[in-house]
Formats: sequence, C-alpha cells, structure tokens
Amino acid sequence: MKKGMTIIACAFFLLPFMLLSVHSQEDMESVDRSVFDNPQRPAAVFKHEAHNETAGIEECNECHHVYEDGKLVEDESSEDQRCADCHGPEDQGNQPSLVKAFHVNCKGCHKKQKKGPIMCGECHVR
Amino acid sequence: MHDLYQFVSGPLAWVAFILFVGGSLYRMIAMLVEVKKKEPFIFTYMSLKYSLRSIVHWMTPFATYNWRRKPVLTVVTFAFHICLFVSPIFLLAHVTLWDESWDISWWTLPDGVADVMTLIVIAGCVFFLLRRLTQPEVQFVTFPSDYFILAIVAAPFVTGFLAYHQWFGYPMVMVLHVLAGEVMLVAIPFTRLSHMIYSPFTRAYMGSEFGVIRKSKDF
Ligand code: HEC
Ligand code: HEC
Ligand code: HEC
Ligand code: HEC
Ligand code: HEM
Ligand code: HEM
Repeated sequence: MKKGMTIIACAFFLLPFMLLSVHSQEDMESVDRSVFDNPQRPAAVFKHEAHNETAGIEECNECHHVYEDGKLVEDESSEDQRCADCHGPEDQGNQPSLVKAFHVNCKGCHKKQKKGPIMCGECHVR
Repeated sequence: MHDLYQFVSGPLAWVAFILFVGGSLYRMIAMLVEVKKKEPFIFTYMSLKYSLRSIVHWMTPFATYNWRRKPVLTVVTFAFHICLFVSPIFLLAHVTLWDESWDISWWTLPDGVADVMTLIVIAGCVFFLLRRLTQPEVQFVTFPSDYFILAIVAAPFVTGFLAYHQWFGYPMVMVLHVLAGEVMLVAIPFTRLSHMIYSPFTRAYMGSEFGVIRKSKDF
C-alpha cells in the first residue's frame, strides 16, 4: 500500500517533466494549431520527416513555397517561415486563407496521388 | 475507401443536389399548373398581406390556436425543425467543404453547439416515433412509410454524430453519412417530406381564403 502511494506520488511529480521532454522533441508529430484563435479540431497528424520520406517528396518547396508576382519561384523555399506568416484568416485573391491553404495543400496532393488521408477525421484524429 | 469517398462526395453529391433542386422546382411548378387547371378562381383572391400574416403566425411558436393546444408537440416541432435546418447549413465541416470546392463560405457554428443541435434533431425523431407508436389518434393515420421517412431524416444526423466523434470505424461511417445525407436530400421532393415545398403555399392559400373570403383568421 505504502509502496503504491510512493510510486503514485513520484509519478505525479515527474509528470510535468515527462510532458516537457515529449514536447521539446525535435520530430514534429502534428501541425501546430496555436495560430488559430479558437481551434475546433484536434491538431492534424503530420510526422514531418517520416511523412515526406514515405510519400517520396524531394522538394521542400512542394509545401514551403515562394511566390513572386503570382508566379511560383522554382528553386526557392520558405521553410524559415510559417504558413501563417503569409496566409491570413481570409482569402486574398489567389492566396487562400490559412485553413484552406493547409487543406488544399495536404488534401490536394492526397487526392491527386490517391494516397493519404482526405476525410476530416483521418487527419484531425481524436 | 479513398475511391469510394471521392465518388460519394463528388459525382453522387452532384446527382443528389440536382435531383433535390430540380425535383423541388418540378413539384412546385406542377402544383401551380394543377391549381391553375382545376381551380383557377383561387388566384383571384390570393392576397400577399393575408398570406404573410398566416405564414408569420404559423412560424411563431404558440401564435396559433393549434400550437397552443399541444404545447409539448409544438416545442418539439420547433426545436426539431430549427436544428434540422441550422445545424447542417452552418456546420463548420460542411462550410469547409463548400469553401474548398467553390470558394464560398459563411458564418459557422462552434462544433460543440452543432453537436448538441444534432442530438436535438435525433431526440425529435425519437419523439415523433414514440408518438406514432403510442398515441391512438396518430397510430390510426400511420403507415409503414411514415416510419421509413423518419429513418431517412434521422440517418444523416445519427451518422454525422458518429462521424464527428469518430466512433465505430470512422471512414466507413463517413461514407455512410454522405450517402444518408444524399438519400435525405433526394427524398425531400419525392416523399411526404415535400411538406417543406408545399407548406408555404398551403398557408398562403388558407390565409387568403380566411382573410379575404371568410373575413376571419386561420390561426
Ligand atoms: C508535405 C509538406 C511539407 C514538405 C514537403 C516539407 N515541409 Fe516542412 N513543414 C510543413 C508544415 C505543414 C510545417 C508547419 C508549418 C507551420 O506550422 O506553419 C513545416 C514546418 C517546417 C519547419 C519548422 C520547424 C518545426 O519543426 O516546427 C522546418 C524547419 C521545415 N518544415 C523544414 C522543411 C525542410 C528542410 C523540408 C525539405 C526537406 C520540408 N520542411 C518539407 C510541411 C512540409
Ligand atoms: C512567403 C509567403 C508564403 C508562405 C510562407 C507560404 N505561402 Fe502559400 N502562398 C503564398 C502566395 C503569395 C500564394 C498565392 C499564389 C498565387 O498568387 O497564385 C500562395 C498560395 C498557396 C496555395 C494555393 C496555390 C497552390 O499552391 O496550390 C496553397 C495551397 C498554399 N499557398 C499553401 C501553403 C502552405 C501549406 C504553406 C506552409 C507550409 C504556405 N503556403 C506557406 C505565399 C506563401
Ligand atoms: C506532395 C504530396 C503530398 C503533400 C503536399 C502532403 N502529403 Fe500527406 N501523404 C502523401 C502521400 C503520397 C501519402 C501516402 C504515403 C504512403 O503511405 O505510401 C501521404 C500520407 C499522409 C498521412 C498518412 C500517414 C503517413 O505519414 O504516411 C498523413 C497523416 C498525411 N499524409 C498528412 C499530411 C498533411 C497534414 C499534409 C499537409 C501539411 C500532407 N500530408 C501533405 C503525399 C502528400
Ligand atoms: C490531409 C489532412 C487534413 C484533412 C483531411 C482535413 N484537415 Fe483540417 N487541417 C489540417 C491541417 C494540417 C490544419 C492546420 C493545423 C492544425 O489544425 O493542426 C488544419 C486545420 C483545420 C482547422 C482550423 C484549426 C481548428 O482546429 O479550428 C479546421 C476548423 C479544420 N482543419 C477542419 C477540417 C474539416 C472540417 C475537415 C473535413 C472536411 C478537415 N479539416 C480535413 C489538415 C487536414
Ligand atoms: C453531400 C452530402 C454531405 C457531405 C459530403 C457531408 C459531409 C460531412 C462531413 C465531412 C461531416 C464531418 C464529420 C467529421 O467531423 O468528421 C459531416 C457532419 C455532419 N453532417 Fe453532413 N454531409 C452531407 C450531407 C448532410 C445532410 C443532408 C445533413 C442533414 C440534413 C447532414 C448533417 C450533418 C450533421 C448534423 C453533422 C455533424 C454531426 C455532429 O457534429 O454531431 N449532412 N457531414
Ligand atoms: C419550411 C420548411 C418546413 C415546414 C414549415 C415544416 C412544417 C412541419 C409541420 C407543421 C409538421 C407537423 C408537426 C406536428 O405534427 O405538429 C412537420 C413535421 C415533420 N417534418 Fe417538417 N417542415 C419543414 C421542413 C422539413 C424538412 C426539410 C424535413 C426533413 C428533411 C422535415 C421533416 C419533418 C418530420 C420528420 C416531421 C415529423 C413527421 C412525423 O410526425 O412523423 N420538415 N413539419
């Protein structure tokens, strides 16, 4: 009994540290949704490195793109910026709103390749 | 599942919306043509004022004698119909799909609120079912098709609810939801659910007849 209590107490104190260490891990597990004011869905599953490896995506600018005068710039990429730095809450001409940018980017490719999730709950897993 | 979902949410959705809109227009026009042929004198006393007076009264809870006579049924009927229209039209997931396909979007409900409204619709269906099973005066005018229609209406809400919570095999439930929604849309013009199309005309006619001819109220 006493031993059990000790273990529970230890676990209780260690928990914050365990959570912290998970959080600071390098590998992205899901797309950060803190840029949305009042998120309605669970964060979308996206294991950055593993995803791009299994999907066989070579170019970073498949997603981290750069546009100049409405034209896609071939050999430049924008992984130093977040999607939210350019994509606002509303559509601006050809530039989709942030949610739509994610959805069109992710779902668009999955539909085209007939591989990868396309239904809400397959990405926003509860 | 990839191909199946693409099919039911793509080409099949087109078919469903075309049948829903086209079928509704057809039923409306066919009805007006019928009236014109059989009872053209009705048009001579149709009145916008009395039509709207009747429609507004019947759209307001407890504003008619009939609504006051059965308070529980009235509350359920209004809660049911309001949630039935508001939850799918202002659902975040539906608007997201419209936005992605057509670049149109509008205000949406928080998911939690939509979820509760979905439950209200389901509860309404259960209420109507129990009413048909237990009230002798309703039992008397109930046909098997009435149960079938209740099931058609409940299905998109039950499957939508399960899909939202990702219970019981998400991708399959999602496909079933889209199918159930399409069946319901198509059923509106072609079953008793067409009361959506006819009810404004019925009220306009009753309002005008009572207002203009009988100089009284139909509520
Ligand atoms: C399939 C799309 C996709 C591809 C391909 C891709 N990324 Fe990303 N990357 C993302 C998304 C989405 C984010 C999250 C952006 C945000 O939150 O605004 C991200 C974030 C990042 C970040 C931010 C740091 C972090 O982990 O939070 C870095 C750095 C990065 N990517 C580097 C790269 C590099 C280098 C490549 C090419 C080898 C690459 N990415 C290819 C989608 C992609
Ligand atoms: C440096 C600014 C910038 C960043 C960072 C950026 N975008 Fe864009 N994006 C644009 C601009 C500008 C357009 C409009 C292109 C046009 O005019 O057609 C655009 C268009 C798009 C489009 C629609 C056209 C297409 O390529 O299919 C999608 C989808 C998109 N962005 C997704 C993303 C995603 C996802 C990220 C983050 C991984 C991201 N963008 C990061 C500037 C940016
Ligand atoms: C350029 C194409 C492309 C883009 C862009 C893309 N994906 Fe994928 N994704 C794939 C392919 C291909 C697969 C299937 C990989 C396999 O299983 O063979 C996949 C699979 C997945 C899976 C299943 C698990 C896995 O990692 O294999 C998830 C989750 C996923 N993608 C999320 C995303 C998200 C979120 C985005 C947007 C930030 C995104 N994808 C953008 C091509 C893409
Ligand atoms: C291919 C993966 C994918 C699919 C499928 C997908 N989303 Fe997303 N969604 C994302 C990503 C990535 C983001 C941005 C970051 C995040 O929220 O984790 C996002 C963000 C959102 C947001 C804004 C953030 C929030 O939580 O409020 C909403 C709302 C949303 N998605 C709803 C939906 C709905 C509804 C569907 C189905 C119609 C859907 N998504 C399907 C990947 C996906
Ligand atoms: C073309 C047909 C349709 C499509 C493609 C569609 C798609 C969707 C999607 C993607 C969701 C979200 C599921 C999730 O969160 O994972 C959803 C939920 C829902 N749908 Fe539909 N739908 C369709 C028709 C309908 C119809 C006709 C109705 C009702 C009249 C309806 C009512 C609902 C409800 C009530 C929910 C949410 C349930 C909840 O949050 O508890 N849908 N639908
Ligand atoms: C303008 C639109 C509509 C109006 C004015 C309307 C009106 C009504 C009225 C007055 C009732 C009778 C309630 C009672 O017994 O007191 C009713 C019942 C019902 N309505 Fe509607 N309705 C509309 C649209 C719809 C739609 C779009 C659907 C579903 C797709 C629907 C489904 C039902 C159902 C399932 C019942 C219960 C039937 C039963 O008793 O079994 N209605 N409606």
